[in-house]
Amino acid sequence: MKNKLSKAHEKYLKRLRKDKAIVIFWRIALLACFLGIWQLLADTHVIDPFFFSSPSRIATTLVNLFATGNLWLHIWTSLYKTILGFVIAIVLGLIIAIALWWSDRLRKILEPYLIILNSLPKIALGPMIIFWVGSGTSATVVMSVLICIVITIISMLNAFISCDKDKILLMKSMHANKFQILFKLVLPNALPEFVSVLKINVGMSWVGTVMGEYLSSKAGLGYLINYGSQMLKLDIVMTSIFLLCLLASGMNLLVSLLEKRQQK
Amino acid sequence: MEKFLEFQDVTYFYQTKESEIHALNKMSFNVEEFQFASLVGPSGCGKTTILSLTAGLLQASEGKILLQNKAIAKNDSRIGYMFQRDHLFEWRSIWQNITLGLELQKMNKDPKKLALAEQLLKKYDLYSFKNKKPHQLSGGMRQRVALIRTLVLEPALLLLDEPFSALDFQTRLKVCDDVYDIIKSEKKTALLVTHDISEAISMSDRIIILTQRPATVKTMLDLNLEGASPLEKREDKDFGKHFEMIWRNLSTDEKQTIKSP
Repeated sequence: MKNKLSKAHEKYLKRLRKDKAIVIFWRIALLACFLGIWQLLADTHVIDPFFFSSPSRIATTLVNLFATGNLWLHIWTSLYKTILGFVIAIVLGLIIAIALWWSDRLRKILEPYLIILNSLPKIALGPMIIFWVGSGTSATVVMSVLICIVITIISMLNAFISCDKDKILLMKSMHANKFQILFKLVLPNALPEFVSVLKINVGMSWVGTVMGEYLSSKAGLGYLINYGSQMLKLDIVMTSIFLLCLLASGMNLLVSLLEKRQQK
Repeated sequence: MEKFLEFQDVTYFYQTKESEIHALNKMSFNVEEFQFASLVGPSGCGKTTILSLTAGLLQASEGKILLQNKAIAKNDSRIGYMFQRDHLFEWRSIWQNITLGLELQKMNKDPKKLALAEQLLKKYDLYSFKNKKPHQLSGGMRQRVALIRTLVLEPALLLLDEPFSALDFQTRLKVCDDVYDIIKSEKKTALLVTHDISEAISMSDRIIILTQRPATVKTMLDLNLEGASPLEKREDKDFGKHFEMIWRNLSTDEKQTIKSP
């Protein structure tokens, strides 16, 4: 049976609900205002709809692209490459971070190279990637992996290293071996950092995919953006950006659900 | 009484980038079975080093450390260690925290050990919290869980490294009583490191007073205060006298260090 709430508690919960509703209302209002003002400025030709597009033009383009049946191919191509790059970067990055945590010496040897790789603008490697792995899907996935992996290694390694020394000592005092310290302490302890890395990498992997598709591809949202800008079909560019926003938000939502589950 | 834990001329050096630090110098003392002993000394004199050496986490540079007349080995299962903070793993339930040591030593399927864990939880009023997470417990309860986690492994000797220092004064007195009660009723021998002279006097059967680094034993004090709990022992007429004696010993040592070039 539910406990009867006191009046003060009821008031407090009501205030919480009201705060939440206000935040949601303003979020929607802000978006509606933005779209409304954009449409108004385009309709009154304060901004040129050819260059700036408008919500109604994006909607029409979206409908037309769906009607041709090609849009699903572009969405799926980009989504597939992004998820592949994201997963490879996370798995590989995690394995490398574990290896660097495991061996102090290896970490000391590789530290300067990691710093250099982190500061290198990965897009500069674009033309070389095409020579190394060929154009198309593999080039895009490699670009995505390169952009995500260094940040994964550095963030996860920092999380592993900053694990409380006394907790490690406690494990050792209970005769834990290094595997047990890793799997029962260091990895679960780094879970919040892992979720942050996932969140960062959702955006980064999309950056990698779009970059890769700019450089070399025959399909995908990055390809559509490139195609639209070259053909001066800027509505296609804006529609692709809109779709990128939707897809990245969807992936972010999945990570947030994972985060909520982890916090339970 | 027989010597249970014995330090025989133990010397320890540790290395830093700048120099070699002489931490302990020919340290000798002993603790008898079922005794509650405390180590007190100036800050940084090497009290925690003594516990680490006793736990086998460090190896003595010279001398011998014997437990039940046998040399202490690395990862010696006869020893349990309780740290300054409880170090409960927040992602594990209380039960999973308590059985962590059993899991590490692959004894988490042993019905006897599991029964002991349950029994200890029940005895110390934590059974109803077994499925809760550590953040749902008070500071005092968390320390009790940490102690049970150590006791489940049935160590012969318990090492306590300032286990109450992170608690507020009121909780500290209560947890002190609880921990003392648990250790005495489970018939354990304990070695406590503390900065708090009152805590040492109220809990201990023997107090080992250390000098500044390189630490050696300055003097040992055997106590027999009246009272069933540390809180009651604080009422003993000799409590103040012992406090003054330890305080004098510690402060003269501090002065000597300041004077020395």
